[in-house]
Amino acid sequence: MVIRVAGIADKMAKNQKQIAISEFFEKNKHFLGFDSLQRSVITAVKEAVDNSLDACEEARILPEIKVKISKIDSKKDILELQTEDNGPGIPQKSIEKVFGQLLFGSRFHAIRQSRGQQGIGITGVVMYSQLTTGKPTHVLSKVASDPTAVSVNIGLDTRKNKAVKSDQTRIIWENDDQTMKEHGLRVTTRMKAKYQRGRQSVFQYLRMTSIVNPHAEITFTDPDGETFHWPRVTERLPAKVDAIKPHPHGIELGQLQRMCRESSDSRMTVFLRQNFSGVSMRAAKELCEAAELEITTKPKSLKPDDVRALLEAFQGEREVNGKAIKLLSPPTNCLSPIEEMLIKKGLSKTIDSKFVATMTRAPTVSHGNPFQVEVGLIFGEGMVADKHVELLRFANRVPLMYQQGGCLLTKAIESVDWRQYGLEQAGGKGVPKGPAAILVHLASTNVQFTSEAKEALSDNEFVFEETRRAMLEMGRGLRKHLEKKKKMAKTREKFELINDILPAIAEKSASILERPVPDLAGSITKIMSAVICNESTTWNKETKQVDVSITLFNYTSRSRSYSLLVNWPEKSGGEMVENERGGRKEAMGIWGWKIETLEPGEKAVLEYSLSNLEKGDWTETEVFFRGSQDVIGATKLDEKMLVEIRKQEEILNQSEAPAEEGDANVTYEPGVVEGDSGQTTLFGGEN
Amino acid sequence: MARVNDPELTKARLHLVVEEMYDRIVKGEPPTMTLPVRTKNNIGFDKKLGVYKYGKKRSTRDATSLGSAKNLLRALHVVEFIEEMIEAGKSSTLREMYYISESWGLGKFGSQNESNNLAEDLEVVTTCLREDFKLRPEEDGARMIGNVTIEELNRRGQWMTINARDDVGDSGYGVPYNVEIEKIRLKEHDVNFLMAIETGGMFDRLVENGFDEEYNCGLIHLKGQPARSTRRIMKRMNEEWDLPVIVFLDGDPWSFRIFASIAYGAIKTAHISEYLATPSASYLGITADDILAYDLPSDELSKKDIEALNAELSDPRFADGWWQDQINMMLEIGKKAEQQSLAKYGLDFVTDTYLPEKLGEMGLA
Repeated sequence: MVIRVAGIADKMAKNQKQIAISEFFEKNKHFLGFDSLQRSVITAVKEAVDNSLDACEEARILPEIKVKISKIDSKKDILELQTEDNGPGIPQKSIEKVFGQLLFGSRFHAIRQSRGQQGIGITGVVMYSQLTTGKPTHVLSKVASDPTAVSVNIGLDTRKNKAVKSDQTRIIWENDDQTMKEHGLRVTTRMKAKYQRGRQSVFQYLRMTSIVNPHAEITFTDPDGETFHWPRVTERLPAKVDAIKPHPHGIELGQLQRMCRESSDSRMTVFLRQNFSGVSMRAAKELCEAAELEITTKPKSLKPDDVRALLEAFQGEREVNGKAIKLLSPPTNCLSPIEEMLIKKGLSKTIDSKFVATMTRAPTVSHGNPFQVEVGLIFGEGMVADKHVELLRFANRVPLMYQQGGCLLTKAIESVDWRQYGLEQAGGKGVPKGPAAILVHLASTNVQFTSEAKEALSDNEFVFEETRRAMLEMGRGLRKHLEKKKKMAKTREKFELINDILPAIAEKSASILERPVPDLAGSITKIMSAVICNESTTWNKETKQVDVSITLFNYTSRSRSYSLLVNWPEKSGGEMVENERGGRKEAMGIWGWKIETLEPGEKAVLEYSLSNLEKGDWTETEVFFRGSQDVIGATKLDEKMLVEIRKQEEILNQSEAPAEEGDANVTYEPGVVEGDSGQTTLFGGEN
Repeated sequence: MARVNDPELTKARLHLVVEEMYDRIVKGEPPTMTLPVRTKNNIGFDKKLGVYKYGKKRSTRDATSLGSAKNLLRALHVVEFIEEMIEAGKSSTLREMYYISESWGLGKFGSQNESNNLAEDLEVVTTCLREDFKLRPEEDGARMIGNVTIEELNRRGQWMTINARDDVGDSGYGVPYNVEIEKIRLKEHDVNFLMAIETGGMFDRLVENGFDEEYNCGLIHLKGQPARSTRRIMKRMNEEWDLPVIVFLDGDPWSFRIFASIAYGAIKTAHISEYLATPSASYLGITADDILAYDLPSDELSKKDIEALNAELSDPRFADGWWQDQINMMLEIGKKAEQQSLAKYGLDFVTDTYLPEKLGEMGLA
């Protein structure tokens, strides 16, 4: 009896713990992402894929990711999810930690941009799987240094909240083609979940992921056995980002207290200079003075009031000699933007369209946190014209799929009057309509969400303003494109007239009258009575270059002279080659040629190629001109804008030079977005 | 303007159109084609002829836009095609020409409307008739019943004598597309007047009721807007036999236009009004007065009807007082009525009461 009772007690204790874990899940399922059967499978895919991408990025491996979902029991809604990557794999001894502990890893302390900031981690998936099916998660992991892969089942000891390994063996892992798998990870897990299609689906999640991870190869097999493939469009891995120290403007009291407590530094100045970014020797001394702390004080011995005083000095509430303490900006090399060209490729690969404009704003700082906004706009006949445009939101390369309306990025898009740029928008407010998709990516060391669900960004005026400005620029590009298209159509008509119809009229009338075919030059000049510029930008398969050809026709009765300027992707690493007419660099990404005299009826041809680019990188060249007579097919150059671009180039060059610590010139006020981020283009300024 | 009926002259006139284009190119100018403006703003009453003709306004179609350049090229293809037909002794319908243009490359027609318009343009510019161009219309000629005898040259080159009362069935004599002297001779008649009728239903009603015999008249079914040949044969009978032409139509703005094209000349064919128009033709009904006087079943005027009536108020062909009154009255009552609404009072009402009363007012019954 006694034994039996004890057994029951044991069981009850076990049950209580079980209930506690279930309750933990139940209570927090919203921010864990397991609040509905439909969402659970998306969350599971997200945790697994984010881990794979992060791991590949850190190990500098071009990711190949396979995701497969199969139905196990339709009545009970049991799905099996299998994800496989070619990442570095996880060493045998770390598997338990990675899959069996909540919030494992160092990324919560490091300040840099990472995907994994968002979510509970793969442990949540293991937990959800066990709670809903009672089954462990199978892990197959191979690291390059081991000859075999480890195969192991991971469950959770719900009492101790730690991983339980079972059936661990080492096996030979072969690829489909019987070659040995060098390294990688495969996770197979069953869960109660429902697979659905549409805007909020695994498909959409992977599609969006592939847009912002153009370096990844992603394959997805859905429960119906249909396979989708998003190919890699660049061999370039995202730049390796450095972790940075926190900036005094972005720190909170609790964090500061902890840092002081854990410090082993002997003096305040050393502590301030070594643990924070943006603090020069002078600033460190001034901060101590403002906080009324001795320079020689050990940080560990600070009292709560001292810490508070230090924080006030950080935030500029305490001054020295009536002046705010000057701090340097935090470095922004902790950010990894996708970059204009790659966004363009990513968008073009999943959406078939004619016009793509992308823009990466310069990194900037809000409240001590570096951030960077990137946007893309794709427009074309292939898309649905009478529906709202598709919004593709991302934070640190992770798709945001829920709560679109409450998101800061959506609000920034909605704040633009898109009607002036050629999209429909009721009352000039809200999400515009038209055959377009808009992408926004926020890269930041500290992404602020409206809630634990981490699906919508919370309001931040600096991020809003940066996003809005980028949108306006996109809009101007779109308007330009549409105007150009219209003009081109007209020009094409004129060319058809003089190249086809007029010669036919001349020949036919001559043959009816039995007279010689008359010369057309005079008529052509009278009909066109304009200077016309024709541009063609085409990918040359053989040379792997972009060939650009610009022809300027003088169809007026006087001789003309012009300067022609073009934009070209200098910033993105393109190189101008086979430019036989020479010319000169007018500014970053702007090249110019002089065309001295162009007699009536004559034409001038400019030809050059762009190398070091891939197909689809550069599809349209903008031509500008200096000269009195208007040129159809080119835009009159705004000299002010050129000056502006040159100025920005200088600023850019300066900021690229390594910043000297203690250089008091490069300071900034807390919470002020610096300058205009240097982003004027020839499409026009901020109007 | 006159019927040319001379292939060499037709060709010479067409060459003038081609020369205009050619000479402009030689001068280093865009080729052009100059032609009268063909809208109601450019028709005026020709006192000598008693019909409406195009005025002096001319428009120039020049090859500075793709559309008009293509039009000039098409005109050249049509000229060439006409010359070929003249030389080969063939003719073609306008529709056939539209299909033949498929092989004209850049000069092919976009729609048949374009080819019809261009044929008319060339008539206007050259002052020739499309018969000179060997182009036939697709349009359906009228039907005719009554004691009228004509001679028609048949396919075998024999002259046939046809009496439009005794030698025809109930559908009457079919008027061919060419009613010129080389094809149709008016031989003799025993009628007091001709009555042109808009709808087939009313034509058949009068035939069934024996109206043509009782009132000694010729009945002509117009089939809506009358074809050129219909207008031309009425004009010939009016001139050669001195027969009054009475026009009996629906009572709506479109019928007014039909009457104008019979009596004064149509805007589209104002270049040949003196061939087609019968200035002495009179409008019998349905008038706006009739709708009230006979209390006819009527329909509300549609938006388009009202627009058409307002356009007619500023049309020079409707400038006289009687028409202005009729149009204004119709606008005022806001109603229109069909010929067949007379059946409200029985099938014989039109022949026993309405027409005798109206003809009486005109001094014909």
